[in-house]
Amino acid sequence: MVRFWRELIKGVVISNPVFALVLGLCPTLAVSTSLDNALGMTAGVLFVLLGSNIIISLIRKAVPNIVRIPVFIVVIATFVTVINLLFHAYVPSLYESLGIYLPLIVVNCIVLGRAEAFASKNPISSSIADAIGITIGFALALIIISFFRALLGTGNISVLGRNLFSFPGLTKDPIVLFILPSGAFLVIALLLALFRWTGVMKE
Amino acid sequence: MKLSTSRFYPIILLTIVVFLSVVLIIATNTITQGRIQDQQAQQIQGMLKKMFPDMDKYTLQNEIYTLYATDQARIGYAFLATGKGYGGDISILIGLENETTVKAISIISQSETPGLGDRITGSSFLNQFDGVSIDSVKLKRNGGQIDAITGSTISSSAVVNAVRITALEKVQALSATSK
Repeated sequence: MVRFWRELIKGVVISNPVFALVLGLCPTLAVSTSLDNALGMTAGVLFVLLGSNIIISLIRKAVPNIVRIPVFIVVIATFVTVINLLFHAYVPSLYESLGIYLPLIVVNCIVLGRAEAFASKNPISSSIADAIGITIGFALALIIISFFRALLGTGNISVLGRNLFSFPGLTKDPIVLFILPSGAFLVIALLLALFRWTGVMKE
Repeated sequence: MKLSTSRFYPIILLTIVVFLSVVLIIATNTITQGRIQDQQAQQIQGMLKKMFPDMDKYTLQNEIYTLYATDQARIGYAFLATGKGYGGDISILIGLENETTVKAISIISQSETPGLGDRITGSSFLNQFDGVSIDSVKLKRNGGQIDAITGSTISSSAVVNAVRITALEKVQALSATSK
């Protein structure tokens, strides 16, 4: 049990996927434009990462080293496709709100990264903890990044359609650059620099 | 010799994994196909009802929905259009009040950039189409009545062009059949 919690907390800070491992930047750039998008992506990643970590941890002893990457990719892609179809058929409301994020996860290298670096070497319980921890870490990173991007780029912070607060002046003349992908690079770089400088996240 | 030490074991294993995954996907697809189609049909019906609150029933002919009120009066037409967006096809439901005027449009599915192009699904963009004559469904810079979304010109013009071109085509088809 101690090990479970250790693996879980590790994913949030020490190996935070975005700020420490610097993985999954492509989806991070794409979805960190608003808090809603960040939450949608998090839900998708949780489903897929949990599923793929469990399956890969289960079959890890049967998979020979030379074909492990293709096997992992097939497992992940199958998982995403099946979940996509099931959601579309049985939980259309969730499918609607996750929309593009589910298929995007196939190219999310966090999932393959965790399969390769963790689940293929560890038992199921640790792999589950790892999946949850990494997802929380990813969520935290997305929320922080999208907070700054939404604030600077649109002047409004809203969650689930409700406007939490508006920054006077920015709403009328937002810095559109921050909504564009190049703005995401700026925000991520500044945050990374800040975290390294203060020593919160160490290599 | 044990199977797991054989030279061919990786090949056999990969083949089995791929085979199983294909079987799984085909099975899921077969099971969910019917439900997904039902859901899309229901979605379109719900959208029609929202566009034309007076709608009582509709007929579908040549991919054009003709809508009738309770007193059998014809209250409009609706049909689907596809626009080429930035991230793939944009599927749009167009409602016409009559042969010249748009009643409303709604987006059925799209895969535009989250936070940018996907604002075409927002009401501030879509409401601009309500009651506009088909010929004026153009971006303002092209002499029309629709404001493009800042930073998403491709997505905006994809919707606008798909609506105008498809609407003109369907109106032509309608007048051809009624003659």
